[in-house]
Amino acid sequence: MPRKSTTASANIRDAGASGSLTFRLLRELAAGGFHSGTVLAEKLGVSRSAISAALKNVEACFGIPLFRVPKKGYKLPEPIEFLDLALIASHLGKETAARIKLDLREEATSTNTLLLDRAHIAANGTVVIAEHQTAGRGRLGRAWQSSLGGGLTFSVLWRFPGGASSLAGLSLAVAVAVLRGLKAARVPGVEVKWPNDLISGFRKVGGILIETQGDMLGPSTAVIGIGLNFRLPDDVKDMIDQPVADLVSLAPNASRNRVFAEVLKALVAALEQFEREGFMPFRTEWEAAHAYQGRPVRVQRPGEPEMAGEVEGVAGDGALLVRMGLIVQRLSSAEISLRLPKT
Amino acid sequence: MDLRKLKKLIDLVQESGIAELEVTEGEEKVRIARTTAGSAQVYMPQAPMPMAATPTAGPAPAASAPAPLEPAGHTLKAPMVGTFYRSPSPGSPSFVEIGQSVTKGQTLCIIEAMKLLNEIESDMAGTVKAILVENGQPVEYGQPLFVIE
Repeated sequence: MPRKSTTASANIRDAGASGSLTFRLLRELAAGGFHSGTVLAEKLGVSRSAISAALKNVEACFGIPLFRVPKKGYKLPEPIEFLDLALIASHLGKETAARIKLDLREEATSTNTLLLDRAHIAANGTVVIAEHQTAGRGRLGRAWQSSLGGGLTFSVLWRFPGGASSLAGLSLAVAVAVLRGLKAARVPGVEVKWPNDLISGFRKVGGILIETQGDMLGPSTAVIGIGLNFRLPDDVKDMIDQPVADLVSLAPNASRNRVFAEVLKALVAALEQFEREGFMPFRTEWEAAHAYQGRPVRVQRPGEPEMAGEVEGVAGDGALLVRMGLIVQRLSSAEISLRLPKT
Repeated sequence: MDLRKLKKLIDLVQESGIAELEVTEGEEKVRIARTTAGSAQVYMPQAPMPMAATPTAGPAPAASAPAPLEPAGHTLKAPMVGTFYRSPSPGSPSFVEIGQSVTKGQTLCIIEAMKLLNEIESDMAGTVKAILVENGQPVEYGQPLFVIE
């Protein structure tokens, strides 16, 4: 289906230029090094006390410790690569830019919630990315933790002509798309865990949460939320209740803008492919990237006792196939974990 | 409804080959649906059910006439396999409660499968008469979820 196309510049909106004083200051500090309050005040045309007030709650609000040294000024512990629309557009390419409508925000409670609330009016291909999410959500209300500039959190709204049942496997296809994008951005070593966790060395690098609305028979609207750990400070790692990893430890020179653009580009192509052909063309690639493929696992299904089996692969609709003795079980709702051989 | 009668109804459903049977007697309602494996599943709405001391015998289910009984309301069935959730996240209020009136297109529940959370909407306006699945339970394709009248 041909999508409405307009120019890249018309589709991309920047909230950064007119952003809050706090964000304007953080952008000044982003490259690193000390910046004196006097110089900052002059440059931004505000008083020094306004600066001090604007930076007062940076730690609590954004999860980044800010150094304040008398006579030297302010300094971020690590440089922040802010999202840059020109850079994103150059990596996206005109073809992808024409298919999306990018809305860059400094802050959002949750990009998924924001898009879901606007689902009936938002254009197909609307993308919301926030520099900072204050109430990021994982599955079933689990919180998604990130610090300013430390993550990539965005959501994409996509309309499908079919109903909810035609979207089986979408969740896994999106994971394949993210892997393709990471590969294009030269981030190696990311695998999947069924259904769509992104992991490296069995530690979580990212997650995907898809929420759909619509008639059972179609059309339906999917809001696809993707969260990637770009750079996790140690104190944020400590707040997270499971083993985590970040992209910069896999690719120290990774660019946040490039990773976002490549993943988005791969995602748009994958959504169009999924709309035409469903999950089947993604299946082999998904299985090849599954860190649990052929491994012994424990399976926990809702409201049922734990079971042991071995991962066979996935079905054509994305359901997990687990061999339990002579039987191969199809699972569409379950948590799996590695069953380590007893030594 | 006593257990013997329930057993008899289950046997009836299994023998006759009909997919689903719903029996309403006064304030009691029982729905029996056959799964593909051939075993019958029983869903009893969690409404308070004062047991009649002497249950008035309803029309005896005639084995020769396995026509499904007219359901008391419209049944909304699961459009997909997954896990049934009554609220958007744990701890938040349920989308709907029994007795609540709903509009067409209103979200009734979420069915999750493979981290895809599907908001299931009501396909008609009416009153929620029964919620047939417990929060967090797996549901099969076509399994009755709600009765709306």
